[in-house]
Amino acid sequence: MKSLLLRTAFALGTLFALNAAAYADPVMGGTLRFARNTDSEILDPVLNNANADIWILTNLYSTLILPGPDGQSLVPGLATKWSASPDGKTYTLTLRQGAKFADGSPVTTDDVIWSLNRARNPNNGIWNFLLVSIANVAAPDDHTIVITLKNPDPSIPAALATFNSAIMPHKLFEAAKGTTDTEKANNFALHPIGSGPFVLSSWQRGSKMVLKRNPYYFGTDSAGRHLPYLDEVDLTIVPDDATRILQLQAGQIDATEFIPYERVKELQSDPNITMDLFPSTQVTYLQLNAMPTLKDGTPNPLSNVKVRQALNYAISKKAIIQVVTHGLGTPMHSYLSSATPDYYGGDGPAYPFDMAKAKQLLKEAGYDKGFTLTALAQAGKANDTTTLTMIQQMWAALGVKLKIQQMDETTLDNHRNSSDFQILSAYWTNDIADPNELTDYAAYYPNIKSQYSGWKNDEVDKLFEQSQTELDPAKRTAEYKKIQQIYVANAPEFFLYETPFAAATRKTVIGFKQSPLGNDIFDEAYIQK
Amino acid sequence: MLARLPGRLLQMIPTFILIGVVVFVLIRLLPGNPAAALLGIHATPEALARINAQLGFNRPIWVQFLLFVGRLLHGDLGISVSERIPVTEVIARRLPVTLALVVMAAAFALILALPLAFVAALRQNRASDVALRGVFQVGLSTPVFYIGLLMLGFLGAQLHWFPVGGIGSGFWSGLYHLILPALTLGVGLAAILMRSLRSTVIGVLRAEYVEFARAKGIAPWRVLTGHVLRNSLITTLALFGLNIGTLLGNTVIVENVFAVPGIGGLLVEAIFGRDYPVVQGVTLVLAVMVSIVFLLTDIAESWLDPRLNS
Repeated sequence: MKSLLLRTAFALGTLFALNAAAYADPVMGGTLRFARNTDSEILDPVLNNANADIWILTNLYSTLILPGPDGQSLVPGLATKWSASPDGKTYTLTLRQGAKFADGSPVTTDDVIWSLNRARNPNNGIWNFLLVSIANVAAPDDHTIVITLKNPDPSIPAALATFNSAIMPHKLFEAAKGTTDTEKANNFALHPIGSGPFVLSSWQRGSKMVLKRNPYYFGTDSAGRHLPYLDEVDLTIVPDDATRILQLQAGQIDATEFIPYERVKELQSDPNITMDLFPSTQVTYLQLNAMPTLKDGTPNPLSNVKVRQALNYAISKKAIIQVVTHGLGTPMHSYLSSATPDYYGGDGPAYPFDMAKAKQLLKEAGYDKGFTLTALAQAGKANDTTTLTMIQQMWAALGVKLKIQQMDETTLDNHRNSSDFQILSAYWTNDIADPNELTDYAAYYPNIKSQYSGWKNDEVDKLFEQSQTELDPAKRTAEYKKIQQIYVANAPEFFLYETPFAAATRKTVIGFKQSPLGNDIFDEAYIQK
Repeated sequence: MLARLPGRLLQMIPTFILIGVVVFVLIRLLPGNPAAALLGIHATPEALARINAQLGFNRPIWVQFLLFVGRLLHGDLGISVSERIPVTEVIARRLPVTLALVVMAAAFALILALPLAFVAALRQNRASDVALRGVFQVGLSTPVFYIGLLMLGFLGAQLHWFPVGGIGSGFWSGLYHLILPALTLGVGLAAILMRSLRSTVIGVLRAEYVEFARAKGIAPWRVLTGHVLRNSLITTLALFGLNIGTLLGNTVIVENVFAVPGIGGLLVEAIFGRDYPVVQGVTLVLAVMVSIVFLLTDIAESWLDPRLNS
């Protein structure tokens, strides 16, 4: 009895201590030293095209609506509330009173109108397609913004929470050196002023970027404390994975991202390091060409759905996940990642390994004597070549010979964008918390021939068009379920795996997060003494 | 040599023009273009046309070349496609780092190779000679990035004698940060120089004029520095000059491992990103640097061996 009492007391005590630690006050101030593998190119929300830009931009700029902590929900940003008209063609947003840019000037409706018009201008950058449904942005008074749409668009709130819809200071931008928008943008992006948690303080290209706390940032934590906690974030550029990890172990930096999968276990057992595996929208797969003939005119067996299914069945995802991702990946159930809104994974993993079925399907397709395929991979990407080499051996059992060709990224893109390929290594990360970006890219033919595969399914095209204006969330979910089922059944790609974002911090770092879209989130991070 | 200097300098001009033309054409022969690299998977034909027009890469190649030459004569290398700032600014920021790295690496190589080659030559085939040659053989055959990682792991992360990569802030901190990368870069060159110098010294030691100097009763150390060193250095110097180009090439790997923001890494990024203006600018600057090194080598050689002047 006595021991039970003691044990209960001990358990209660531990529970209390744990609770106290979880709710401990964050440490204010301090500098977080974070190493990245590559530098940003242009810190402009509209004209950027690289993840290294996007993932930092969200620290410098705020959007009207912000992605929630799960990366799928939406929470108030520079707009405190928003509502849609019953016909879904008008959105009314209330601008946050007292919101300021990092120089102390107020965020006005003029800034909002100008920023959104700049972001949706088809001549500006590559992201304007996310706002293509907007017909007009207006402000009936100083704190109301009315967005009129050409057609109902359920993804508009998510688009307003995406980096390219960031609100920029109109007057400061116009005051930047240059005559055209591009020239002004290039100069403004060297000293950008936004209303995000941080502001750029200095930037030595290729080596270091210093972000300082924005004292005017509107964000607060759950206890009402002003964010961010940190005074400064130092972002250094360290391209080599092994060097970044050595720096972390030596305490030269506090945190870093892109930990190679083979190093995760080792860092998990390091007492000084927290190894984070953040849910991500990253999927790794092989794109394929489903057209009857290849660009050079030779007949293409992959145009036969049974051949595509057979080859999908003949890939042991389990083996690839084990070897390439060291067990950190999970098999894909859909072309969408499981962290995407309206993801449907209810039918289980796509094409679980089944060699007998693969042989049967190939026989039915009349290809049981085998054939030769060619896959393109990016040179220097060891994971891609390992995956293809493994698949080469798996497919050999079907009499299918796989040739692997390596090339640099731009050459590979060139082959992809002109449909001059048979198979190629690919991966995808969403930029918007909505399933429509990848669906438009991979499944919807009229855009880019279903990621240049030439695969066309009228029902998918129709369902996608419906879903793009569908205002009933339940109906939209049902449309996406059907699209994903048809896609998987037709196998216009070779499904491989999903992976988390692997980031590591010193044990002293609390609260650093990476969103499923990849954005590095520093506003609730602090360094424990 | 000094009399021939203006001629040599004039000779360099056609070399630069040739390099300019070759680089200008070669980079455009690679599949893809700056717009394609910028747009990646978003490269629809319309987007490609729009961006190429914005950047001026839709003009005929000869028009682009004339514009490039015209700007070059005004000291303008164009605007970087990826960084959107003048190429001269990009190079001015990155070049000093690489120059410092290469100069330090060359100095380390000479400091290591000269005394050790003499020790090895004078103690030919004895234990110390065999050991030194063994060590340098290993240095020569180990990949540069691996030497770098070993140094970083042991001297940096374990012993904390040196920073684990990066460039620090300020001049002295910068030099301190460059010690390990320069050593890594210098070891390979030291091995090459030491092997050559050792065998030359052995040859020179057997030469008649050395025997004669010794017979005249000149002090042994004066024979070594005055006769042997000077005559052995001629071939080693030529080898040193030739290898500066290789050293510049290896900076790509070393800069990557040690997170040094130099010109080597810049060139590789620019080629992958089809950043034509940066590729052209960096290649020209590197060509000028290598030509200057060759010229300096020639001057030093003719000083060491006045016969070359006749």
